[in-house]
Amino acid sequence: MDFFLSKKIVEYACLCGVLSPLTKLYFCRHCLNLRCAFCCHHEVDSHFCSNCLENIPSSEAKLRKNKCNTCFDCPSCQATLSARATSIQVPMSTKGEGGDETDEGSASNKMVTKKMYYLACLACRWTSRDVGISDQTSQTCSWPEQEYFHSTRFQLLSEHFQAVVLCDKEEKQDYLRRKTVKTSKFPSMTDRTGLTVASIRRQIGFDKSAPKAKPKPTNITPSIATSEVEDLPDEIFTKPVNLKNITTIKQRLAQPANQPETVKHLYPQHKNLSIKRSLRCRHCEHNVIKPEYNPSSIKYRIQLFASNHVPEVRFVKADPFKIGESASIILKIINPTINDMTITIMDLPTEDEEKMAIEEMRKTFDKSVSIATKSSLTPSIMRPSLIEDPRMVDCKITGKIELPDSSFVVNQRDDSAEFDDDIQGDRQDPRFIIWRKANKVEIKLNVIPCDGLKKDDDIITGFTMQFTYSNVHTSTPEKESQGLRHALNVRVYINPGKISE
Amino acid sequence: MPIFETVFQEKPAIVLEIGSVYTKIGFCGEAHPRFIISTEIRSISDILKKSYISLYDQTAAFFTKIFFKYLLASPKDRKVSIVESVLTPTVIRECIAKVLFYHFEVSSVLFLPTHLVATATLAVENAVVVDLGFKETIVIPVYSGVQVLSAWQAQPLGSEAVHDKIKAELILNGVKEEILTDAVIEDIKVRTCFVTKQSRALSFKSKEEIQPCPDLEYPVDGNDVIKVPGQLREVAFEVLFPKDNDRLGLPYIILDAILNCPVDTRKVLAENILLIGGTASALGMTARLKAELTKLIESDYYKNRLFIQEVKFHSAPSKPNFTAWLGGSIYSSTELITSSSFTVTRENYLKNSKIPDWVNYESAFVRTQG
Ligand SMILES: Nc1ncnc2c1ncn2[C@@H]1O[C@H](COP(=O)(O)OP(=O)(O)OP(=O)(O)O)[C@@H](O)[C@H]1O
Ligand SMILES: [Mg+2]
Ligand SMILES: [Zn+2]
Ligand SMILES: [Zn+2]
Ligand SMILES: [Zn+2]
Ligand SMILES: [Zn+2]
Repeated sequence: MDFFLSKKIVEYACLCGVLSPLTKLYFCRHCLNLRCAFCCHHEVDSHFCSNCLENIPSSEAKLRKNKCNTCFDCPSCQATLSARATSIQVPMSTKGEGGDETDEGSASNKMVTKKMYYLACLACRWTSRDVGISDQTSQTCSWPEQEYFHSTRFQLLSEHFQAVVLCDKEEKQDYLRRKTVKTSKFPSMTDRTGLTVASIRRQIGFDKSAPKAKPKPTNITPSIATSEVEDLPDEIFTKPVNLKNITTIKQRLAQPANQPETVKHLYPQHKNLSIKRSLRCRHCEHNVIKPEYNPSSIKYRIQLFASNHVPEVRFVKADPFKIGESASIILKIINPTINDMTITIMDLPTEDEEKMAIEEMRKTFDKSVSIATKSSLTPSIMRPSLIEDPRMVDCKITGKIELPDSSFVVNQRDDSAEFDDDIQGDRQDPRFIIWRKANKVEIKLNVIPCDGLKKDDDIITGFTMQFTYSNVHTSTPEKESQGLRHALNVRVYINPGKISE
Repeated sequence: MPIFETVFQEKPAIVLEIGSVYTKIGFCGEAHPRFIISTEIRSISDILKKSYISLYDQTAAFFTKIFFKYLLASPKDRKVSIVESVLTPTVIRECIAKVLFYHFEVSSVLFLPTHLVATATLAVENAVVVDLGFKETIVIPVYSGVQVLSAWQAQPLGSEAVHDKIKAELILNGVKEEILTDAVIEDIKVRTCFVTKQSRALSFKSKEEIQPCPDLEYPVDGNDVIKVPGQLREVAFEVLFPKDNDRLGLPYIILDAILNCPVDTRKVLAENILLIGGTASALGMTARLKAELTKLIESDYYKNRLFIQEVKFHSAPSKPNFTAWLGGSIYSSTELITSSSFTVTRENYLKNSKIPDWVNYESAFVRTQG
């Protein structure tokens, strides 16, 4: 099934011009148009750990730096580590620690078994004992955290520069008030662009060449350069290397802070969280996908998959294609909705028509943007989305379809009808319909390969499919009376095979 | 609820440094990047030949991964800082801005120049910043907190050259080319090769008989074993120190950059060298550079021009491959994220989709000295 769907034989053009199989497309019920992952707006919906399935509120996830507190990844192979338990015999401790049911009197020599845990990788056999992390009494949370050597220095630097910039800002405001001419300290270093030396610096805001009337905000000791650098160890020239002790580049980069060079310094890494994503149509700001909050649920609160709304076109078979001869192809068309659909097969828009449609889309969009940018009252959050520039479909047609001479109806999906085998004989079908059952119809169309094709060239053909769509979800009463049928167009591209001779 | 969050609780800016092989990603105000991942926008010049749309789509796909798989942060209405080399072609910078504003609807983008922000990690005002990256090494002096753009030097001396050397040698030794994938070559370099001492390098070059470091068997998936000769382990990095008359090796471009600066700044600059970029992590790199530079400043050519007695190196509070990112994190945690005139806000971008340009590539190139 997956193979059959993932092979790109039949693709639909999204409104934005990107081609995708129907299974990868969404259908915005409000704009009545196809949308794809490329032109939808993605949002982080909820954070969870893919190992322990704990749901973590986003504010907390932020505090935890998007890591799970309890789950770890193997620093050696990046698989998930599991906690293994061992029992050890420990002498009964004196008073304080025990707490179990103990015999106070004869405590001194008595041994008790105690459960201890270590982390082990089931994939590569790495264990936390390999790097000298002592076993822990509890399975969760108690693992020692790795210190980052440079944290303190970084903190100092960060605070220092924050203060510098603030101080500069004040100075600049002062200076603007006084409007005196500031001279640059190093006038000789100008570059071709006509920027003065300090201009980049000033533009970026780090300009401190103004007279230092005020003391520096914080004092930080600048780094001191040294001529003493670490030499190669002498043994490197004589001692054979044991590759097993040296980390790979992948292992180093998986611990970006420390990038350990030897396996001794590998350290269990808190597992990175995963997210559920929701997708939003950028034209109307409605969700097309919104997953359920619960991490173990695979359901959605909103799911507007195109395959539930738009008729599916499946390629059944084709006669061999020969240069200059028309060949027939058989397509199956399936109506996924619970309303009958009338389908019309039409020509794809020509290049000019496509360009015009894109222009049209751009115009409506520009209008909405200019309105939004003009009205200063619009709070920034209410701005309309910048819309991805629509583009031409990147697909060259090499076979032309002979259009059928009439429209046809595809019956509604009726799950119960699957089981009765009454054949509908009452419908007078046009000749190109060769088979029909329940909500499926097979049609036979002729394809004429374009001139100039060679053997083994792909035939790519396509059509605009117009279908009637009943928007059953719109429950606003006034609309209901008008009948909710819309005639919608989608562009379908099919690759039925190659020129055989 | 979302309104409260966006208005009253400022979300930390996202800081990205997109290298040609590794991308460093994280949030401002943090001491190290959250992730270092491989850059999935491959060979930008190739893509550009194909089409702008393709570059745009790849960038969008890569950023989607960064935001939703790694950082887990909705980019909408966020501030984003991009740390990048001043030599990055404008078309790429524009593409990044367009993707961020159109596709992700960020609220502002701040472009920060690699070399300048790297000095913030030291809290110094003067330094020669040497970025030893994958494709190339770029040297730009920073004096008094300003990049001396006219003095820049760049050469295709980076890890890529080293990888090519390792690959070529191993193929010469009869190793099958199919098993020498980029990942295997990189791993061989990282785990087994080092920058040897100057004296030994000279011996190797003059074909003297010296005992190289031990050979090594490197197992690869399946049952293959690659034999890595000791000599290759030692000389792989020598491509960065070519013996030539064109003065193109690493030490030359560093000194030439200093030479391009005004006389009175040169001593200070030579005594404040900062090596950044992953290639600087190679074992022995700093020591070797020091030896080479020390020797070179005594040579006739530089002695009478530079008047430097000594070179000194800084070490940043970071691993070299994310020093520039760290500078970006520091910059972005200040007010500059909103007030710098290099900040492009969404409103401004909408009005005149322009982004500021550091400097015109050509003009900086033609310039020799101030
Ligand atoms: N911790 C490390 N130890 C050893 N080598 C490393 C380490 N980190 C990175 N490298 C090496 O440094 C090289 C360059 O890495 P870096 O992250 O600087 O590249 P980049 O920034 O993508 O390149 P460029 O700056 O040219 O665009 C890589 O090829 C990698 O093999
Ligand atoms: Mg880099
Ligand atoms: Zn789309
Ligand atoms: Zn977990
Ligand atoms: Zn493992
Ligand atoms: Zn919509």
